[in-house]
Amino acid sequence: MPILYKSITAVLALTGCVSLLITGEMNLPVCVGGLTLFVGYYRFFRDRAQASKRVAAILAQAALFVFLADALIITGDVFLAVAHMTITFQGIKSFDLKEPWDHLQVYFMSLLQLIIASELTRALTFGVIFVVFMVLLVTAMVLSHFLKEGTLGRVRIRRPVSVIVMLTMICTTIFFMVIPRAPQRFIGKSHAHGIKTVGFSDKVDFGAFGDFKLDQTVVMRIEMDREVRPPYYFRGIAMDTFDGTSWRNTTKQISRILKTDNEFIIAPYDRARVVEQRIYLEPIDSDVIFGLARVTAVTADTFSLLVDDAQGITIPGKLSRRIKYAVRSDMAAVSQGRREERYLQMPRRMEKIISLARSISGAGSSDAEKASALETYLKRNYLYSLSTTLPPAGMSVLEDFLFNSKKGFCEHYASSMVVMLRGLGIPSRIVNGFYGGERNEYGNYLIVRQSDAHAWVEALIDGQWRRFDPTPAVAQQKPPALSHVLDSLRLQWTRYVVGFSSDDQKEIVRTLASSFTLKGLPRLRFSMIKTVILWAFALTLVSLLLYAVSRILRFKRYGFVTRTYLEFRELLRRKGMRVTDAMTAGDLLKLSRNNGLGDEAEEFLMLYESHRFGSCEMSDAVRLRYRDLLKKLRSGKFTCY
Amino acid sequence: MQNPLIKQLQSAVESVIRGKSDAIAMAIVTLLGRGNLLIEDVPGVGKTTLAYALAKATDCAFQRIQFTSDMMPSDIIGVSIYNPESREFEFKAGPLFANIVLADEINRTSPRTQSALLEAMNERKITVDRQTLMLPDPFMVIATQNPVEYYGTFPLPESQLDRFMMQIRLGYPELEHEKRAVTDQSGFALIERLRPVVTKADILKMQEAVDAVMVEEAVMDYLMQIITGTRNDDRIRLGCSTRGAQFLLKAAKAHAYYAGRDFIVPDDVKRLAPCVIGHRLILKSRKGISDAEDVVRDMVERIAVPV
Repeated sequence: MPILYKSITAVLALTGCVSLLITGEMNLPVCVGGLTLFVGYYRFFRDRAQASKRVAAILAQAALFVFLADALIITGDVFLAVAHMTITFQGIKSFDLKEPWDHLQVYFMSLLQLIIASELTRALTFGVIFVVFMVLLVTAMVLSHFLKEGTLGRVRIRRPVSVIVMLTMICTTIFFMVIPRAPQRFIGKSHAHGIKTVGFSDKVDFGAFGDFKLDQTVVMRIEMDREVRPPYYFRGIAMDTFDGTSWRNTTKQISRILKTDNEFIIAPYDRARVVEQRIYLEPIDSDVIFGLARVTAVTADTFSLLVDDAQGITIPGKLSRRIKYAVRSDMAAVSQGRREERYLQMPRRMEKIISLARSISGAGSSDAEKASALETYLKRNYLYSLSTTLPPAGMSVLEDFLFNSKKGFCEHYASSMVVMLRGLGIPSRIVNGFYGGERNEYGNYLIVRQSDAHAWVEALIDGQWRRFDPTPAVAQQKPPALSHVLDSLRLQWTRYVVGFSSDDQKEIVRTLASSFTLKGLPRLRFSMIKTVILWAFALTLVSLLLYAVSRILRFKRYGFVTRTYLEFRELLRRKGMRVTDAMTAGDLLKLSRNNGLGDEAEEFLMLYESHRFGSCEMSDAVRLRYRDLLKKLRSGKFTCY
Repeated sequence: MQNPLIKQLQSAVESVIRGKSDAIAMAIVTLLGRGNLLIEDVPGVGKTTLAYALAKATDCAFQRIQFTSDMMPSDIIGVSIYNPESREFEFKAGPLFANIVLADEINRTSPRTQSALLEAMNERKITVDRQTLMLPDPFMVIATQNPVEYYGTFPLPESQLDRFMMQIRLGYPELEHEKRAVTDQSGFALIERLRPVVTKADILKMQEAVDAVMVEEAVMDYLMQIITGTRNDDRIRLGCSTRGAQFLLKAAKAHAYYAGRDFIVPDDVKRLAPCVIGHRLILKSRKGISDAEDVVRDMVERIAVPV
């Protein structure tokens, strides 16, 4: 077995496993178990003894049991369990590579891994891995074909591989463009857990933001359709109830919104005034829609939206599948509000804080002034720090922050301010979202990271909700430009490959159709084209399926000998002889003698009979002889009588 | 590689009876497959010469029995005669006790004698006066019958015909060969000068080698397809028996060995099917055996050969 073939199998197995690893969804023991792959392939390259079929089978069955346990108990997700199992199988298979069939199994397994990975990740790296994989797979297939035919020693591998890869690429692109995409996701559940975020659920434990403020993972990229001056507060959800250790959302007034002309209208808006943000979201484990306040309309691939009375917008179901949505926000709009009991709710034993609030705000001024005073006070007298310590026993977190440690991050500031405002009788709530982000000049969009997660305050002043941010500003370090270039590439990937939608298809068809429209012909309408494409696609698919099924039903697995014999028969047919299925090799010999074919035919048929019905061993040399004879017969360069 | 012994045997017999290489090959195949041969043909085309030449070339004891309607079984098996000196019955062996027996005009004799012969043929032994005597090894009966004269004959019933491995016809030789046969000295003078080229021990060894010939599954399936085909053909009233199938396999093995292979190929089966199966069938329209051969030939041309 040539070293090239060996190494390609090894690299394919590795590629498959790596593609799963980059998704970040695999659990550690499986990854460690997958390391046996290196041992297996090392042994394979050293031509050590391979595991017996029995051992491999036992291991595979054990892996199946582990898979069941995994799917039912450990991860509880069949999809991920399958992914884990493929890694395990690759590990097992690396010790059991005896026949070409085993190699084929490795290829198939890698393909499966790639498919699973494509479901789990949206990363640009995956795109690169995919291309590498495809080239390797084609090479491996071509190689294994030649290996089976025993002509490996004399092939030029480069040309067929490059041609097939090119064709595959072209076909893939065409399919990618043409295959209609469902405008809705019918299978909404994603198996990726997504990036773990914080602060966007119905209950947020105090201090949760702290761990994430250091995380530089990109959460979303935002394009805006016009220049908007900072600050950017991408509002997520508001919380109303605080019990001293966690914030909770207790609103019961959630309304479901349905689509009207392609978007969800939350409030009537004037198109000239709104700013549109196209948000490309990395898969995160939250279902909240973010946007600059105040969001008036959303465009997203979903059936409905849920909006609560604090303008928190969520998508029913998980978000980690959906990768882009557009939000239209009217930044100048004011949002009206009513005094409600829950916006004045207080945890117990907050007297000390309330008296502090009174002393800061001073009596007699308006609510707005009081709030501003509190905001300024918090900004100036406290230190922003992510390294907070636990409060001493018997002291609440806020008390510790305000009177004792005087160090904290956005949650401390915002929670303190809400409690103080409520102590002064001003209804207020905490809002979690993202703040800031960095502008990427290559592509002109905002990059928002985990570390941009933020909490701020909204207070009801004169019947309107107004935003206050008591957290002092922190200097951001500017990342190097190269990372921006890479990031903009990622955005393109997300935008044009992962998020390629039916709208984009429409656009392509439109440009194509407009260049083909002739005068006098009716204008091509997209819906018409789409119907044609859909039907064509469906028909092709059905006929392909039927063809495949019929092939499978009629499929006989011929060995090399029979295949070449059938080729020989075909050759005689092409030379104009009447060949029937009831003819034996002896009959064919007579026939070819009568038609002036030479000793080659006789030798070929003798070989065939001895290998097909006798117990002669095949060797590579014999395979080559077969091929040679056929070639001679084909070209007519044979010994004549 | 064809066994050189077989080559020599073939050429030795061919030197006596020219232009009949196919028939000679079939006779040799029958000998190798431990079978018996039935030759159906008109008188004077060399049936006897063929049998005799084969016997001479193989260093085998040869006996010819000319069957007539008044023959008794004891005439071919032998009789026990009282010997007054030893005061015992002594068995005088009949002409059957030879390696190659030519049973001429087998259909002229009564069924009683026919069945005695065929019994012996099948059992390879005979029982006389409560003692069992083995026939010599190798043992082969070459029976002939004349298809033209039916007057005063007892045609062999199918059950008896079934016991012959194959049935061949010699037919008239081609003009070239016949001319030479007529002008040259007669066949018997040639036979007298024939030297044995193969010993009996060689024959036995070759018969054992035939048993060891390999049979591939697909070829076996093909063979069975032919056998069952005879039972489902609507021109045939009675198809091939299981014994017929056994004979066909055996003959195919012998033919493979004859051709110098240690495995059988579909070609062996296909070539032998007409002469091995033909005489076992009963057609719906009462016609001769040769028609049955044509039916088989036609049938195998429709059965797909394993590739």
